[in-house]
Amino acid sequence: MKAAITVKNKKKPRRLSQRLQSIGAVFLFFLVWEAVVRIANINEAFISTPSSAIAHLLFAQPDANYHWQKNISVTLYDFVLGFLFTAVGGTLIGILIGWSKTIQKAVMPLFVMFNSIPMVAIAPILLIWMGYGLKTNILIAFLASFFPMVINTSAGLASVEDDLLDLVRYLNGSKWQTFWKIRLPSALPYIFSGLKICTTLSVMGVIVGELIASDSGLGYVIVNAQLMMDTPPMFASLIMMSLLGWGMFLIVSIVERLAMPWAFKDEIQ
Amino acid sequence: MSDNNKLLSIRNLKKVYRTRDGELEALGSVTFDVNQQEFVSIVGPSGCGKTTLLKIIAGLLPKSEGEIIVNQDSFDPAREVGFVFQKPLLLHWRKVLDNVLLPIEILKLDRKKYVDRARELLNLVGLEGFEQRYPNELSGGMQQRVSIARALIHDPKLILMDEPFGALDAITREKMNLELLRIWSESKKTILFITHEISEAVFLGDRVIVLSARPSKMVGSYDIALERPRALSQKATPEFGEYTISIYQKLEVV
Repeated sequence: MKAAITVKNKKKPRRLSQRLQSIGAVFLFFLVWEAVVRIANINEAFISTPSSAIAHLLFAQPDANYHWQKNISVTLYDFVLGFLFTAVGGTLIGILIGWSKTIQKAVMPLFVMFNSIPMVAIAPILLIWMGYGLKTNILIAFLASFFPMVINTSAGLASVEDDLLDLVRYLNGSKWQTFWKIRLPSALPYIFSGLKICTTLSVMGVIVGELIASDSGLGYVIVNAQLMMDTPPMFASLIMMSLLGWGMFLIVSIVERLAMPWAFKDEIQ
Repeated sequence: MSDNNKLLSIRNLKKVYRTRDGELEALGSVTFDVNQQEFVSIVGPSGCGKTTLLKIIAGLLPKSEGEIIVNQDSFDPAREVGFVFQKPLLLHWRKVLDNVLLPIEILKLDRKKYVDRARELLNLVGLEGFEQRYPNELSGGMQQRVSIARALIHDPKLILMDEPFGALDAITREKMNLELLRIWSESKKTILFITHEISEAVFLGDRVIVLSARPSKMVGSYDIALERPRALSQKATPEFGEYTISIYQKLEVV
């Protein structure tokens, strides 16, 4: 007997319209922002219009401190390295913790303790130790974002259904096989949501480093522009930060789709 | 039947769980034999330790007392037992074909050699053409068929089935019963089938073993002399009714 089933086909049209909706919402936000500043005639020293912020980004600036290409690439570099470092390191620590209850009990309180200290407060000490620059910013990014990565990974590994483990156990499978074939794949959704949280936290970490002490980067632009009450570059910098976080979020989402094609299939009703 | 036809002898098997509130006797004392290629149904009320019994046989739980004697020199439970659980327990990140091949990977056998067999088994359970689908694209009944194919892939002698159709609706369940009998007669396996449904036990089994409520004792064993291949129409025969009624009586339902 062959069972006939119909898989509900609800794919392309809805996705396209959803995408248009998202783009439309962002566009609308900028439009309202621009309109409010212009209509209320707000002094640009308080709020820049998005158009002058974007213009600031697009046109070459005479002031060397506003060298956008350099500042963006410095922050991008720190951010990407910091994020990758956290993604790999946090996942590995999460696996270690998920693997052994003893390790979990030993290090969890420490992690919670560290995570409770605001990053802004640790950064100055790190700067004394390491001076400012790439290493410090990456370390700050890591400290700011490793916790959700660790928690999500270990929670994902623990989330596996006990019955699924029986499946391997009755065949005399090893702990290693259980890990590779059952635990890790079932933790993937958790790991990816950890990564998504990480993207924004890593941006924050890198920027905190740059705000406190640096000679370049988007955070540096903000500090520098603040002294001169020059708001367009400040807002330009904010827009770039959000683009960085958003871009990485998008990349993580794409990798997620590639890594877990099963999760994006339509379930039958 | 002669002794060399025996696959499994279970002698005074007991299971006691130690809990904080004291001891809980899950399995009183159970003794029965299972012959080669026999279909044995085990029926009993919920919580009577049926699942415990299967898990002990599969090596998933330690027994407290008693013996399981396997009448076979080379009987490695990991190799010779296929388990069909209550839930399909498919790995939803693996396609149907890869789910069926899971035991081969766990047993570290050569996967390539078993791909054709996996396809044959999927044909046998009526899932030809679904090899590359993901489990969540299949209905509950189809998922349970995949798990039956998976239990057969490493060619075990003994298939343990723990209320595999319990979650299905009555109509699908009847269909799956007929399917199972066909698969059983084609694959020539020994099946130990647990259910709480008396008519299902009688319809499927060569023999029905009746367990009482906890602490469970074996209260009866019935040879079911209904003709094979079984057909649904047999459920309307007086013989079928007599079997079910006497099992109901044994369980003191009527």
